[in-house]
Amino acid sequence: MLKTNNLGYWYTQQKNSLFENVNLEFKAGQSCAIVGQSGSGKTTFLSLIAGLDKPKEGTIEFDGSDINQIGLTNYRKKDVSIVFQSYNLFTYMSPLNNLLTALAVTQSSHAGDKDFAMDMLRKLGLTDAQMKKNVQQLSGGQQQRVAIARTMVCDAKLVVADEPTGNLDEDNTAEVIELFQQIAHEQGKCVIIVTRESTVAKACDNAYRLAKHEFSMI
Amino acid sequence: MNFFKRAWLSLTAKKGRSVLLILVTSAIMLFVLAGMLIHTAADTATTNAKKSVGATLTLSANREASFKKMRKSSSSNPKLTTTPVKLSNATKIAQLNNVSSYNVTSSTSVNAKSFDAISKSTSSTGPGGQSSSSSTGDIAVTGVTNTSEVSSFSDKTNKITKGRGLTIADKNTNNTVIESELASQENISVGDTITVKSTSGSKTYKLKVVGVYKASSSTSTQQGPGATDPSNTIYTSYTFANTVKGSKYAGTADSVTFNVSNPSQVSSVKKAGNKIINNSKYTLATNDSSYQTVKAAMNNVKSFADKIVWLVAIAGTITLALIVILMIRERRHEIGVLLALGESRWKIVGQFFVEMVVVLIVAIGIGGKFVGDKLGDQLVSQESSSTSATISAPGDKSVQMSGKPGGSGGGPGGGNSAIAGGGQTGTTGSTQETNLDVNVTVLTMVELGGFGLAIMFLSTMIASGGILRLQPKKVLIE
Repeated sequence: MLKTNNLGYWYTQQKNSLFENVNLEFKAGQSCAIVGQSGSGKTTFLSLIAGLDKPKEGTIEFDGSDINQIGLTNYRKKDVSIVFQSYNLFTYMSPLNNLLTALAVTQSSHAGDKDFAMDMLRKLGLTDAQMKKNVQQLSGGQQQRVAIARTMVCDAKLVVADEPTGNLDEDNTAEVIELFQQIAHEQGKCVIIVTRESTVAKACDNAYRLAKHEFSMI
Repeated sequence: MNFFKRAWLSLTAKKGRSVLLILVTSAIMLFVLAGMLIHTAADTATTNAKKSVGATLTLSANREASFKKMRKSSSSNPKLTTTPVKLSNATKIAQLNNVSSYNVTSSTSVNAKSFDAISKSTSSTGPGGQSSSSSTGDIAVTGVTNTSEVSSFSDKTNKITKGRGLTIADKNTNNTVIESELASQENISVGDTITVKSTSGSKTYKLKVVGVYKASSSTSTQQGPGATDPSNTIYTSYTFANTVKGSKYAGTADSVTFNVSNPSQVSSVKKAGNKIINNSKYTLATNDSSYQTVKAAMNNVKSFADKIVWLVAIAGTITLALIVILMIRERRHEIGVLLALGESRWKIVGQFFVEMVVVLIVAIGIGGKFVGDKLGDQLVSQESSSTSATISAPGDKSVQMSGKPGGSGGGPGGGNSAIAGGGQTGTTGSTQETNLDVNVTVLTMVELGGFGLAIMFLSTMIASGGILRLQPKKVLIE
């Protein structure tokens, strides 16, 4: 589903590149973790495959098409969903409106389907009252579940997550990992999680370590 | 169209911010409205003032040509001979476009017979102390078409106190209007008949008094030798004055004054009139100095009002642009999330524009007609009370008008001084005030809305430069 070809990235000088000649392939229906120390470049890698930035060299293919040809905005709208460590929800909306907004912006097949969004939020453990409150009135774990629900309702086949459990306690972390596994195995989506936590990496189907500018399978 | 919903959710969720934006926008819109009202007031004042001041054309004998003729004459005792104005010419000129009315004047004098004139001036002391006897009568007869068209009546120097004034219906009658002092001294009332005698013979005329007027002027309208007391001036139909003057004066007049309805057209009327008359015998003189003075002064006021509108609009745009820039900076995270979701940048700009338009609608709704009308009343009352000037044209009606809005002293570009300095002579009569009715109309609100939309659009566009350059990675990840 997603393939990187000789991917490389650096900020100012190529000799200080974060990584070079990265050739990885991620498949639909599988979850994959990318682990590494802080500053290793794993979040930068995520931003490239999420279409938030352009690589300095190499290409990224999604379903056989270069994402630059698809257009990064179009790619983000149709093909990829992103989950962030800090949730990045619309703070002036309710969980339900967050989902409905995402559905509308990405023009997903369930756009405007309020019942579908509510069902998803219920599945993720939010009560009807909670889903109509302002998101800022929810706990961190609940907010992250709303963020994950946002990726689950959208049609995008690729889900990328940047430290999704970074702000969560153990119980919530386990719940979130379980949700990502559901997305991969039940919805058939490709899930790529950038994390520093070994428990998360172990729970995923595959895992890569980014160290010394190179990716290696764990 | 999801950005409409997002805009609404944002506005309703962040009530405090929305209220502040509405208040700021209201304040800016009120300033713009004030500028627009001043502009409207200036327009109205200009139109009213131009109408009130008016302009006239006077057809009279060409004295300059007569003097030249006299100087060229080889006679040892040359005489200045002027040709009376033919009424047939006057009728033709009166039919020209923009001539609203005309008044015929034919003056002569008679001697009182059935009563005594107010004694004062049948003779006067001439230059060098020589006494010169007068060949004129003791009663000045001013023959007119309509007393209300006579400048001394229209500017309220003379006022009808009893009975009525003369009208076109009094043509070919011996009706007269006499001065109140004369009426009082001789116990003459409306309805009485008085007798006057020709100065050159024994012919007498009976005149029926149809009105009494009071002259507030203290000076005589006839100066120099033969001057009479103003109370000895009677008004009659011009046909009566011509009868007294003699049969050769039938169908003639000393002068004819034409009122031009549109003062800006006075030149074209004069040009057309000159084609009708014999220019060697007659002359058409314009009197539009008051109009020209008002025009210049009011153009200054309008220009000043225009500058206020633009100044406020520019200041409003800058203020709102700064507020929107700050608002957008505060919402960088939200913009980043929308960009990460694949939202187009223009739709994000559209969301902010929609938010500002909703704020504008509420702000105008608050300001609206009620506050606008009150503001208009305040502005106009301040204008009237702080700066007013009186124009008193020579022998013409005077006009009181507003000068620089809210200002004092001289108007813009010396507007008020120009008004005050506009060729004032003659008697000072009462003033005719030009009322300014400055109300907020639907059109004003539509114009205000248009201005507001333009300001909001510019502000959002200026502030959106940041959105168009914003990289979601920098906001969400770095």
